[in-house]
Amino acid sequence: MSGALARSGRFWSSGGWLGAILPPALVLLAVGLAVEWAKAAGLLPITIPAPSQVAAVAPAQAADLWWHAQSTLRNAALGYVISAFVAFTLAGVALSLARAERPILSIGVAIDCIPIIALAPIFAVWVGAGPTLGVVIAGIAAFFPLLLGAVQGFKATDANARELFHVMAASRWQRLRLLSWPSALPFIFAAFKIAAPLSLLGALIAEWMGTDRGLGAMIIYALFSFNVPVVWLTILTVCAISALAYGLIALVESRVVTWGTDAEAGG
Amino acid sequence: MTGIVIEDVSKSFTIGKGSVQALSDITVTLPPGSFTALIGPSGCGKSTLLRLIADVLPPTSGTIRIGDKTPDTARRAHEIGFVFQDATLLPWRNVLQNIRLPAEVAGIPAVRDPRYLIDLVGLKGFEEARPSQLSGGMQQRVAIARALSLDPKVLLMDEPFGALDEITRQRMNMELLRIWKETGTTAVLVTHSIAEAVFMADTVLVLAARPGRIAQSIAIDLPRPRTLAMMRDPAFNGFENAVRAALFGDEVEAA
Ligand SMILES: Nc1ncnc2c1ncn2[C@@H]1O[C@H](COP(=O)(O)OP(=O)(O)O)[C@@H](O)[C@H]1O
Ligand SMILES: [Mg+2]
Repeated sequence: MSGALARSGRFWSSGGWLGAILPPALVLLAVGLAVEWAKAAGLLPITIPAPSQVAAVAPAQAADLWWHAQSTLRNAALGYVISAFVAFTLAGVALSLARAERPILSIGVAIDCIPIIALAPIFAVWVGAGPTLGVVIAGIAAFFPLLLGAVQGFKATDANARELFHVMAASRWQRLRLLSWPSALPFIFAAFKIAAPLSLLGALIAEWMGTDRGLGAMIIYALFSFNVPVVWLTILTVCAISALAYGLIALVESRVVTWGTDAEAGG
Repeated sequence: MTGIVIEDVSKSFTIGKGSVQALSDITVTLPPGSFTALIGPSGCGKSTLLRLIADVLPPTSGTIRIGDKTPDTARRAHEIGFVFQDATLLPWRNVLQNIRLPAEVAGIPAVRDPRYLIDLVGLKGFEEARPSQLSGGMQQRVAIARALSLDPKVLLMDEPFGALDEITRQRMNMELLRIWKETGTTAVLVTHSIAEAVFMADTVLVLAARPGRIAQSIAIDLPRPRTLAMMRDPAFNGFENAVRAALFGDEVEAA
């Protein structure tokens, strides 16, 4: 009986991932076909190529694309990981020192309010326009969602559950491990999912400050040589990487957070 | 078996600049192994009284003893089982893991075999189920099994079946009495139902509000084991009327 229950539970949670991928794939296909048709009918400006034109340049660009993408990915991933460490450390301080929570969140909001595009040139002056800038800007872009997710997540324990742990005479560490951490997981995953595309975007913007390697640099080169299909090829690659990063985290989440949660809407 | 002695206990909460007296001068003794029902209008301090006994909150004045221990010592010795109005199960743990939680936290082997407890509350076959796969009544039974897992000397229940339908509730009450009998724990049940209070308890404590105090203590002199048939007994109705009179005072005649 319970076996059947558990099986049906698994079926609904992670099952049917084909069903999750198929609808967006069909939409993309439809949009692609529509653009192809509109281009053929002469309805689109010269800045928008037909999907077939983009596909045609892809094989010749593949090696370049991969070389540039590696750098962007590395900067974004490094910034993301460092940002997560800083955000979680600060969240830990905010949660253990009640007085620190407001100032820390305020700093987070302030950082989040400054447009990345305005921050990038300032940091470019300090750290140069190389890979370091990519890491820094990627980290800043991802910072606030990670901080907020961690702080909110660790505060998301049910009041009755806290009383239960008190009655059971649980230690601080047991509360953290057995209650706060699992309660926080859905929030933390939501934050990681939101932050991943942001740090990729941050790394990209940093590359516009004048580096010679990275997908951002590739876009600039293609723009200056007015190679419209390559511009779009690069943009589509960035989109694909973003979606892939989001999907990967969602996949891990579905393996870890196997219970139904209220926080799912956050993702 | 362990009794609960409550002496001159008062509790006030500070809200902003003011303060609310939730409980005033509660003095009552709950004998070892007894079953006590707490009934009263909402806001009269029933939950607060349970929280004081469980050492979730300290009293403003007065003393509480659980056997020869303070509530704090009894809590740390894992002698208190608490059942909340909603089951408060950890959603990421299955039934068996939820029932094992108190033993895991205490760092000792479960005093009562979790599988025996699952059997006791009628959930055999659901060991691996997650709380979200259970009905409200089943979740509440898991919560009771969890509260019993370290064989607590006192079992405190705050409207545990409040959210259940009448039929399930009646069934749960019968099971609860059977479990109580089997474990010999000193039970305190907060309820909104006069019939439930009379059916379950040795003593019904009727609380009055503002400030929360014991209006009357009514001994329920019905034989055990209690059966559903007893509810049609004139003696049962007599006790119900006594509780009703204590709850509503003059309003009963006025209406
Ligand atoms: N943590 C708290 N802080 C402030 N006031 C409280 C708190 N808990 C209970 N109260 C107040 O104490 C009174 C009794 O509450 P409670 O014990 O929950 O009543 P009951 O369970 O009988 O409905 C109410 O007036 C309530 O507002
Ligand atoms: Mg209450």
